[in-house]
Amino acid sequence: MHLDTPSPLNQALTVVARLSRRDFMAFAGAAVGVAAGGAASVAQAQAPALKSINAAEAAIFRRVAEVVLPVGGSALTPWTPEVLLGTLDAALLGTMPPHVLAGLKGGLQYFNEGPVAQHGKRFTALDDATATAFLDAWGNAKEVPHRALASGLKKLVQLSYWANPASWAPLEYDGPISQRNGLKSLGNAPLPTR
Amino acid sequence: MKKHAIKVEKQGLKVTQAADVRDSQLHLKADAVVVGSGAGGAIAAYELAKAGKKVVVLEAGPYITSDKFPEMLAVAMGTLYQDHGGQTNSAGDISVLQGACVGGSTVVNAALCFRTPDYYLKLWAKEFGLTNLTPAVMTPIFEKVERNLHIKTVGPQETSPGALLIGQGMDKLGYPQGKARRNIKDCAMTGFCFSGCTTDRKQSMLVTYLPWAVAHGAVIHSDTRVTEVLSKAGKAVGVKGEIIDPATGRKKADIQVDAPIVVMAAGPIQTPLLLLKSDLANSSGQVGKNFACHPSMSVTAEFPHEVRDFHGATHSLYMDQNTLPDKGGYILLNAIQEPVEASFQAEPGTGKPYVAYMSGYKNTIRLISLIHDQNVGQVSWKDGQKDISYFVDDQDFEAMKKGLIATAKILFASGAKRLYLPTTHISSIDRVEDVDTVIGGLKNEPARYKYTSFHPQGTCRMGRDPKKTVVNPHGETHDVKNLYVVDASLLPTSIGYNPSETVYALAHYVCDQMIKTRA
Repeated sequence: MHLDTPSPLNQALTVVARLSRRDFMAFAGAAVGVAAGGAASVAQAQAPALKSINAAEAAIFRRVAEVVLPVGGSALTPWTPEVLLGTLDAALLGTMPPHVLAGLKGGLQYFNEGPVAQHGKRFTALDDATATAFLDAWGNAKEVPHRALASGLKKLVQLSYWANPASWAPLEYDGPISQRNGLKSLGNAPLPTR
Repeated sequence: MKKHAIKVEKQGLKVTQAADVRDSQLHLKADAVVVGSGAGGAIAAYELAKAGKKVVVLEAGPYITSDKFPEMLAVAMGTLYQDHGGQTNSAGDISVLQGACVGGSTVVNAALCFRTPDYYLKLWAKEFGLTNLTPAVMTPIFEKVERNLHIKTVGPQETSPGALLIGQGMDKLGYPQGKARRNIKDCAMTGFCFSGCTTDRKQSMLVTYLPWAVAHGAVIHSDTRVTEVLSKAGKAVGVKGEIIDPATGRKKADIQVDAPIVVMAAGPIQTPLLLLKSDLANSSGQVGKNFACHPSMSVTAEFPHEVRDFHGATHSLYMDQNTLPDKGGYILLNAIQEPVEASFQAEPGTGKPYVAYMSGYKNTIRLISLIHDQNVGQVSWKDGQKDISYFVDDQDFEAMKKGLIATAKILFASGAKRLYLPTTHISSIDRVEDVDTVIGGLKNEPARYKYTSFHPQGTCRMGRDPKKTVVNPHGETHDVKNLYVVDASLLPTSIGYNPSETVYALAHYVCDQMIKTRA
């Protein structure tokens, strides 16, 4: 990709161009798991230091979360940036292979610069309605990377929120039941007799 | 001579973990080394150990005892699944899920079992020369694994609120209700199959073939990633690997196992990667090619009343009237869905519509459409990283659309008031009259849909022609003697049904051949 004019968008595109298409795209689907103890332990933590993303990247994720999860006024459990970003960082981003995390970081910059051409502002500076419309528009974009980014970033913050058992109570979902119901292990099966 | 009594431990498994290793170099000798401890590897370990072989099993994943299974999918993904649940195709739009722990995918699957349809056995005989895998040969093997793994049809109580609703919809539309057959004993109906069965009701390899293999003397090493298959003069002679501390990700020791039999059972992604890295068994150029994965999509249905599809049998109901390729090429499966899964399967719209959608979680259920797909993908190394290059074929996407249309009509007939499609753009359907138009208008585009695959397969396919296949009809690679494959890599074509019982049966068949050859 050749870009003549230095600008934040062009710089972001240059970063993205350096990444292979595979790295750039793979992060979108690479966010399913929450590593052991991630949700539960991070939920207890007080403003844990973020290890996988810097402050600027955290600010983009925070703004995405504000737009994707506007739970105020609903029955859903309120969230705090510290806990949500802590879960995201420790349990999702922290387990990504380095090349996938690098793809995410490039994509995150690209996404944040996305609204500049049309709205003259980065995503983090958009008002709620414009940011919401922007995410929906990219989810239905012709450009494959736009769809992948909108879908992938939303998925990351959604998982970070719903992996926390504190988010389940308003849904009346009761979570793990075997221990609560005193279910016993059947143990190993006996050897086959024939 | 007095026979030594074979005793199976009542609980747990003797496994050498990274934490148990004290030396920086391990050099073991065995009659057979098995790479992977899932469906194929565990069966091979048991059959070979029972035949008197000294067996070493090397598993890349950790050993997690069932009492540690979390009953939380998000946490289970992090501990029990390949790449912490993050494994995808190169486009990032298909989540390719595999177990990565002692017991492999059998620990985290939904225990659904189907015999390989005769249609495919005949197809494989005709197109791949597998005239040895006749229904007459395979039937007794299916019967054996069904006995060993307690594979039974669900009882009337083994269902879920969602399955009951879907069954009503099927009845109204005249679709046959398929009752699931599962390798589960006395199901506790928690609905947590995908997180591992914490009370050992699921008859996974963790509580069946692996403890049986250990009872016969097999040794299992977890946290041990094989890095090279060794060969000499056209024969397999062992493997090299690394023992990785799962807590730090750092190498703890190097390991080499010398063995005149090497059994590959690392799964249809890792097995070809390892063969490619070892530069073995690939004179056909087919290693890693012909990847298929049974892409699936979940449609979420919202009802005007509470359903509370929180617990029950994870899968209990299916519809396979249209599963064979000439009938449509799709199968429908019900499945319980916990909030984490529900949170990203639908696209109701960013912000308030999403909050409203999730607030109605207790009123929702899902029905899965899974397709028989063409073997159009490839697993390979790119820039030192694994690459799963796979895009849903246009013809297969048409099968998916047929499956989604049937899914949607069944869900409306079940009483749903709104359906959400698994797309990246906002998509819902409020009236059955709109189903054909909305789903019929979907186009096959990358990163447009939220696919999940639980069934990667086909990357070291079996067949008679060494120019077109990797493994011969008896499971040994064409190129390297004593190098066998017993995982889902073997499947010459995708089979449209959950392939676990096919893998169990093929592993038994290959082991029978191996043992007969050496008798």
